[in-house]
Amino acid sequence: MKFLDHIEEWLIASLIAIATLIIFVAVVHRYASGIPFFQDAALAINMSWAQELCIYLFVWMAKFGAAYGVRTGIHVGVDVLINRLSERNRALFVYFGLFAGALFTGVVGFLGAKLVLGIYETGQTSADLELPMWLVYLAIPLGSFLMCFRFLQVAWNFRRTGELPRHEVAHVEGLEPEKA
Amino acid sequence: MSAYIIFGLLIAFMLTGMPISIALGLTVLAFLFGLSDIPIETVALKLFTGIEKFEIMAIPFFILAGNFLTHGGVARRMIRFATSMVGHWYGGLGLAGVLACALFAAVSGSSPATVVAIGSILLPAMAKQGFPPRFGAGVITTSGSLGILIPPSIVMVIYAVSTNTSVGKLFMAGVIPGLVLATLLGLTTWYRARKNNYPRLTRATWRERFVALRDSFWGLLLIVVVIGGIYSGIFTPTEAAAMSAVYAFIVAVFVYKDLNLKQVPKVLLDSASMSAMLLYIITNAVLFSFLMTYENIPQAMAQWLLNMGLGAMGFLLMVNLLLLLAGNVMEPSSIVLILAPILFPVAMQLGIDPIHFGILIVVNMEVGMCHPPVGLNLYVASGITKMGITELTIAVWPWLLTMLAFLLLVTYWPPLSLWLPTQLGMM
Repeated sequence: MKFLDHIEEWLIASLIAIATLIIFVAVVHRYASGIPFFQDAALAINMSWAQELCIYLFVWMAKFGAAYGVRTGIHVGVDVLINRLSERNRALFVYFGLFAGALFTGVVGFLGAKLVLGIYETGQTSADLELPMWLVYLAIPLGSFLMCFRFLQVAWNFRRTGELPRHEVAHVEGLEPEKA
Repeated sequence: MSAYIIFGLLIAFMLTGMPISIALGLTVLAFLFGLSDIPIETVALKLFTGIEKFEIMAIPFFILAGNFLTHGGVARRMIRFATSMVGHWYGGLGLAGVLACALFAAVSGSSPATVVAIGSILLPAMAKQGFPPRFGAGVITTSGSLGILIPPSIVMVIYAVSTNTSVGKLFMAGVIPGLVLATLLGLTTWYRARKNNYPRLTRATWRERFVALRDSFWGLLLIVVVIGGIYSGIFTPTEAAAMSAVYAFIVAVFVYKDLNLKQVPKVLLDSASMSAMLLYIITNAVLFSFLMTYENIPQAMAQWLLNMGLGAMGFLLMVNLLLLLAGNVMEPSSIVLILAPILFPVAMQLGIDPIHFGILIVVNMEVGMCHPPVGLNLYVASGITKMGITELTIAVWPWLLTMLAFLLLVTYWPPLSLWLPTQLGMM
């Protein structure tokens, strides 16, 4: 379980870092192609795939990040109403919300798996990178099922401890008083 | 008829407190399986292709850039600079608070984080100088919301994506209203401080000002990189966002040294998870608005509103009330994602400028964050000031009124937002 948590964290943090670097390099490359000194070297490298790759990296990051978010409680809803209920009734709504989440992500996972299979059969590839599209879309069933699992996990922990993960909206580092 | 069912379901789901993204998705699923003839495959595909737009990718990049600079060290530099510039006028530290909030919020991109960062440093200093706690709390809570109006703004990117308007134009259009609102909040602070004779600071020397500017310069340059880069056509907005993320990383780690390399993965993880959350809402909101369009709901609503003979004036008033109401229970991005696709077609039919409409929505979101009973900034401020919401409500009142007056100004005087992009030849 710890292992899964680590992979998840490591994966999404790397994806956002790589995507940032790729776009940075692509922009630098575009301007370097305009400078005579770098021109020959720059023109030899083709960076037209950068945009596409960036999108795919972010699709993967979004799907797995959403699952990570369930574990850390970042997906917020409108809780003004249920917070006024008694502890017992509130718990009922919390379970309802968590199971609704598991249901939705489960259904999407199945739809996604079907879609991936369908695309696999067509052998479709992406426009610039010529990646097989089923590989790109694989993020959807995997991410959704993981998210479904996380919702159930949160529900299980809520049952055991009565606590929900809470994401702090406004955490800022480095606020402790300055050393003189 | 289907409109009632869709909205009824959505509101019912949302009130159970489930995540907004799930409420949107479930509404669509429930409607599809029960009541519609849309082939489910179409929807499945929509669910997966919803975020495959390069424009949307500006959001994670801006979040990353903001998170690198959301640090106490940056807040302290902004405060020092603001204090040296305006601290000697009436309002002293309070006035500096408005300016520091505006600067920090623009760079960090997060209103609640601004309230926490500037508030935790400035409020104790204000208390020490003898300002009443309510005064400081009011200043920080309201000024903290300035960030979403001053570019780079994530809410603006979301509006641009969901209505197909230009991010660059919106950013430009936000500059003047952002400055005007900061000035108005500053004036309110100045006036109340003068009336009550609150402490002022001694005037800083030009040398001190220069040193303070040099310190905060690197952070502020981020705004210049983004606006300048987009305006001059060097970058597309998404590229500008990626460049600003790299720039923010360099400034935070190598120039300011607020972060060491070991802390970088944590920043990456936080930004990724925050972005993923937004992208997840976007995916489901795209699905939701696809369903709405398929059922012809925005068109029907537009027709219905036009038949009521509401006119542009009446419509905008209605939009303001609706958004302020929504701002009480949801955070800005979700509101824009759900309501913009519905309201936008009506606004277009009434001949309202899309950019002006966007700025109006953003200002509404700002007011909503400071608006009792449940504005997000109020909650965060309540945490750091140890004041109850009721007391904070009294505290923010003068500034909140200023913001509401400004909202009316933005609503009914389009040139305020449209002048700059027009002058720059962008529209």
